[in-house]
Amino acid sequence: MSAPLIEVKNLKKYFDTPKGTLHAVDDVSFSIGTGKTMGVVGESGCGKSTLGRTMIHLYESTGGQILFEGEDITHVNRKKMHGLHEQMQLIFQDPFSSLNPRMTVEETIREPLELSRRFGKKALQEETERIMNMVGIDERLRHSYPHELDGGRRQRIGIGRALALNPKFIVCDEPVSALDVSIQAQVLNLLQDLQQEFGITLMFVTHDLSVVKHISDNICVMYLGQLVETASSKDLFADPRHPYTKALLTAIPSIDIHSTKERIILKGEIVSPIEPKPGCRFAARCEYTCEKCHQPQELKEVSPNHFVSCCRVDEI
Amino acid sequence: MSEVNKKTPFVEVKNLVVHYTSEGREIHAVNDVSFKIEKGETLGLVGETGAGKTTIARSILRILPEPPAHVDNGEILLEGKNLLELSNDEMRKIRGKRISVIFQDPMTALNPVMRIGDQITEGIVLHEKVSQRKGEEKAKRMLEMVGIPASRYGEYPHQFSGGMKQRVVIAMALACNPDLLLADEPTTALDVTIQAQVLDIIKNLQKELQTAMVMITHDLGIVAGVCDNVAVVYAGEIVEYGSKEEMFDHPSHPYTIGLFGSLPDINADVTRLSPICGMPPDPSNLPFGCSFSPRCPRATAECTKEHVKLTNIGGTHTCRCIHYGKEV
Repeated sequence: MSAPLIEVKNLKKYFDTPKGTLHAVDDVSFSIGTGKTMGVVGESGCGKSTLGRTMIHLYESTGGQILFEGEDITHVNRKKMHGLHEQMQLIFQDPFSSLNPRMTVEETIREPLELSRRFGKKALQEETERIMNMVGIDERLRHSYPHELDGGRRQRIGIGRALALNPKFIVCDEPVSALDVSIQAQVLNLLQDLQQEFGITLMFVTHDLSVVKHISDNICVMYLGQLVETASSKDLFADPRHPYTKALLTAIPSIDIHSTKERIILKGEIVSPIEPKPGCRFAARCEYTCEKCHQPQELKEVSPNHFVSCCRVDEI
Repeated sequence: MSEVNKKTPFVEVKNLVVHYTSEGREIHAVNDVSFKIEKGETLGLVGETGAGKTTIARSILRILPEPPAHVDNGEILLEGKNLLELSNDEMRKIRGKRISVIFQDPMTALNPVMRIGDQITEGIVLHEKVSQRKGEEKAKRMLEMVGIPASRYGEYPHQFSGGMKQRVVIAMALACNPDLLLADEPTTALDVTIQAQVLDIIKNLQKELQTAMVMITHDLGIVAGVCDNVAVVYAGEIVEYGSKEEMFDHPSHPYTIGLFGSLPDINADVTRLSPICGMPPDPSNLPFGCSFSPRCPRATAECTKEHVKLTNIGGTHTCRCIHYGKEV
């Protein structure tokens, strides 16, 4: 196994709200190997985006540790952070609102290059062209504004901008969920190609399990701020152990019309992450709930590299 | 063929053509679309953003914004009666009673300053000519049917989560036992586990009430789970139509094949997706001949010579491609 590029230990991110403390990310630990892709799945509001953003210091963490190439980067000063952001980038979900509407394609991609002060005037132009080429944006679109482009092209610009300074780690926050399926496949292929070419480590945050299975080496399943199960992509889909993961996997509409797979339909809704009670947060919707579920849960290794946070995992 | 013996289909859309006018340009949203639905059946309309799916649904309900939209041609027959010829008053009696709709976004489909129970009751009282009290009773029953406790009758939309709001919208749509339900991406805004719940509710209620349904979606997985027949829409045209089995076992139009290739399949191990190249065409400037030809791997010069017709390729299965059946 390759050495981890980034590792989080007991990471916590709480937000203060008028109703109390919102536990967006609660005690999450995992690591991502260099050049690998980690998929983070969960439903809206489970804290998956907050996790990604906290890891690259867009949010200040409340507790726990973040290690980047073995170095503790949990608390860093501004100057250091500036350097870190060149190595860690984010691709946003919504290509419609994440680009400056008053900057042309070329300006948008050139901006991070200028800010890095690594390039002379001529090199800057060459580099901009190289990136546009790399993410597949036509030369003729260089003076276009975001509103003139469709979603797929806009997302390509977002990707180009994130890749501009050759980062080592990119958090992709639902990069394809706003796109049509045919365009979605183009963007997924592009991300895979670029990862192979440059050996970038990706963290892929999404609610779409088919996408995550397709692109990830390892997967974390989150529920209300907690990590409930993590395993390699293959293991997780072949043998889901946590009741939530099981339900999640059967809930995906399959295009196989002859499949006779029994679906598990969950009852109830996600409860509020504000001032949650100790214990398993899935307990309210889980069919296996018992007394023990209301005590704090721990991640247990059920098979090599497959961790589950459920006290009844051996019984079910 | 004797016209008398032929059964009138429950709902039939014939040669529907709709265009929008925008900044002096004509946008061809729906180009000659025809289909039929029988009672208790579900037709899936599948296609990408801008393919014209929603415009078709809105024309059936006659809620297109006119202008800019304009229905140029076609008939929409409900048990043989053409809805496009009805007066506004007559149409208002049909909307919400015989035909109702579930919109994509439950956050905007509800009135934020009206209690959700009252929003359901309003339609019942209006269409079923019952007293306010009777209406409220029915509204409460509808709420329970979609899994919301009747005690929440007096709450406002902001007090509900997205999934519950969508269930309120479903309760509202089904309150008057409609004959035809138009579901326009009813679960796109929801999470997968909630989506499974909502689809389950729709399917069960449909079975119970024998409602005909048009399910508009871009998710082939939902089509596989819910629909009986499928129409694939591209650039305002049906490019392939057939029963679910015909369509999923033998996708025939290159666009349909492309759609399947673009999907990461949860049950298969594919290392690389095979996307459709290029972008959907500009609807104000559609390519001549086959509108998919600029993106099609099988396109030849013949494809752009003349307009391609839907041809029957066995059973109820039709496909709009001149290359169908020829070797690649």
